[in-house]
Amino acid sequence: MVQEAIGIVPDTRSVPLAWRNLVANKRRLIRSSAGIGFAVLLMLVQLGFERGFFDASLGLVRQLDGDLFIMRASKYRFGAEDPFPRRDLDAARNVGGVASLVPLYAAWQDFFWKDPVGDKSYLIQAFAFDPDQSVFLLPEVNEQRDRLKQEDSVLVDRRARPFLGMSGDARETTINGRTVHIAGSFALGPDFMSSGTVLMSDRTFAGLLTGNRDNPAALPIEFGVVKVQPGGDIAAVQQALTTALPKEVRVLSKPQLIAFERDFQADLSSAGPIFWMGTFVGFIVGMLISYQVIYTDLSDQLPQYATLKGMGYETRYLVRIVFEQAALSAIIAFVPAWLLCLLVYYVIGVLALLPLHMTLALTLLSLALTIGMCLLAAGLAIRRVIAADPAEVF
Amino acid sequence: MPLHIAWRILMHQKGRTALALGGIFIAILLIFVELGFFIAVPRGGMLIYDHMRFDLLVSSNKYIFQAESWQFPRARLDEVGKNAGVAQASPVYLGGAKWQDPGGGLRLDIAVIGFDPKARLFAAPEVDRQLDVLDHPDTVLVDSQTRPIFGTLQPGRAVDINGRRVTIGGQYDLGTGFLGLGVMLANEANFFRFFPTRRPEAVNLGLVALKPGADPDQVARELRAVLPNDTQIFTRPELSVHEVSFWTTRTGTGLIFGSGLVVAFVVGIMVLYQTLATQITRQLPQFATLKAIGYSNGFLNGIVLIEAVLVMLLAFVPALAAALGVYSVIRGETLLPVNMTAAQLGAVFATTLLMSGISAFLSLGRLRRADPAEIF
Repeated sequence: MVQEAIGIVPDTRSVPLAWRNLVANKRRLIRSSAGIGFAVLLMLVQLGFERGFFDASLGLVRQLDGDLFIMRASKYRFGAEDPFPRRDLDAARNVGGVASLVPLYAAWQDFFWKDPVGDKSYLIQAFAFDPDQSVFLLPEVNEQRDRLKQEDSVLVDRRARPFLGMSGDARETTINGRTVHIAGSFALGPDFMSSGTVLMSDRTFAGLLTGNRDNPAALPIEFGVVKVQPGGDIAAVQQALTTALPKEVRVLSKPQLIAFERDFQADLSSAGPIFWMGTFVGFIVGMLISYQVIYTDLSDQLPQYATLKGMGYETRYLVRIVFEQAALSAIIAFVPAWLLCLLVYYVIGVLALLPLHMTLALTLLSLALTIGMCLLAAGLAIRRVIAADPAEVF
Repeated sequence: MPLHIAWRILMHQKGRTALALGGIFIAILLIFVELGFFIAVPRGGMLIYDHMRFDLLVSSNKYIFQAESWQFPRARLDEVGKNAGVAQASPVYLGGAKWQDPGGGLRLDIAVIGFDPKARLFAAPEVDRQLDVLDHPDTVLVDSQTRPIFGTLQPGRAVDINGRRVTIGGQYDLGTGFLGLGVMLANEANFFRFFPTRRPEAVNLGLVALKPGADPDQVARELRAVLPNDTQIFTRPELSVHEVSFWTTRTGTGLIFGSGLVVAFVVGIMVLYQTLATQITRQLPQFATLKAIGYSNGFLNGIVLIEAVLVMLLAFVPALAAALGVYSVIRGETLLPVNMTAAQLGAVFATTLLMSGISAFLSLGRLRRADPAEIF
């Protein structure tokens, strides 16, 4: 008798019940996947915006070609003008381990670029340096650096916001009312403060700012870009520089400079909290939608579960099936949503000039969150399965 | 009659209806929140203007937006003052200054608005009450929404503005908009102490107040005819259109939050469709019975549509309440003016009606399958 009873119940490992449950009703499968899929898309889009916002804000900082950066101690963000006099760098020349020290000049509030094909002028950010030195990692900039030696020549960001007209064929425009030659372009992209970026030599910069290009050394410096000798200990050089330099300036490593700007954007800028909140709302809504879908599916299949129970399957087995089914739903919905998201990222990235990239980290994070929220939903809904009474279902 | 049946269907299984309401609640809330974000940025850009008293704005013809306003000759305002409809034309000076504690620390950017206190340009009781404070030398009023990183804003605190020792005379609460992390008000004399290279002849904005009864559009037309083309005139509605279009089309934010809004709309339709389709499937026998006793397809469609609208209406109220809560959190976190306006409320209501219509239409296909012969 006992033998026979066991005989009715097939080997539970051989039947992929969760899978069969899921695909038994194709319409329901499509409906559920669409629901969870849109929840995933919502999360990915919001998460992508948040990452894109930070990537845009940190884009230029990451492209700086240096190991250590000397800046004024009172500077509170990368893009706030707070230059220091050149003499503050004097002591750095005698510090051991320093291979090169190049002044980087910057202006965020002083350069007005005229749209070459329109008649309006717009505020842009400008950086200047000695064209014989490499200050940016962008290969395009380093290839075209020599062209900046020509007077009043600039390199422009062809990914700048379109109204600036930096991506066109124009070879000439004016900055601060003075004619400049557009000697070439590079691809960087705008952030949430600057619509466009222009690079030039220190002489051109001095000319556009003060009218006198012959004495760039008199200009105050925004960043001292330090390269440490190959194989040198960056931390030790940083320590030595900090000791040698006046306390009006501070020395940051590149990761510290990136973290410095990231902290500003996350905590103080107006945009940071908006994106943070958007991501949070996306998660909450995504979780609620998933819960709704999983709960509805389980309720629909209550008779089947009750039957299994009536046949003698243990609650533990049913619970396992429910969780397996939830995880499978999550994965099935994730794949099309992920693919659709690639398209959304591409379109919005092009239109909004926001660097939206699908990364492995983003994929894994969102997959984990999707499976997590589906399992959580299953956990909340499982009471109904456990309580399913075979006698009542029919 | 369809209304009655739809109501009975909803009341029949209250648990299921609650679940459906939950789904639609989420969809509506999401629309509210995304719309809030979408509107927050341009409204943030309009914040300072919204709290200023003027009927017409004079600006340079190079004007881009509030924080990039360029300058025009002050003499243009004298010209404006000659118009019979103009009661007052006052200059406003805008500047970006460095704020630092006298003891050292960070040199923070703060926006300074310079104006003549007697012109009473700000529609804020706290500013009006403290206008005489502004006439003390090197004394300013600071917006209380200036970020905490600036330190205490208590009246009496001394700070260095562009290297000059200045006393905080008081606070007011307008919001900083997108002028920066902090905003302060100064009278003209103090403004030019902070910006010694600026000349009073070069004005950023001119605020024009009209005499009672004067028509802003009419006066704007007359002024445009007499002013040289180095200046331009905005009426309030024109200014609002200009600033909002700047923020939505010239920055990334319009597209980003606009696409969030579209995603919310699609998610909302999916959720609503899902809920309705499940309900119809469940009640297919009942619908088939109605069909068998002679009710038309149109009648059954009517029931579904009314059911969709009913669920939407029931979910709308709690979603609105939740949205008000979320808005206040966003206000606190981003310091942007995210408010529920009648227009917003109406827009979301119309959108959700449209959504329930679309999802009801999508789920009608299932109803066709209600075949009385097959059900039993």
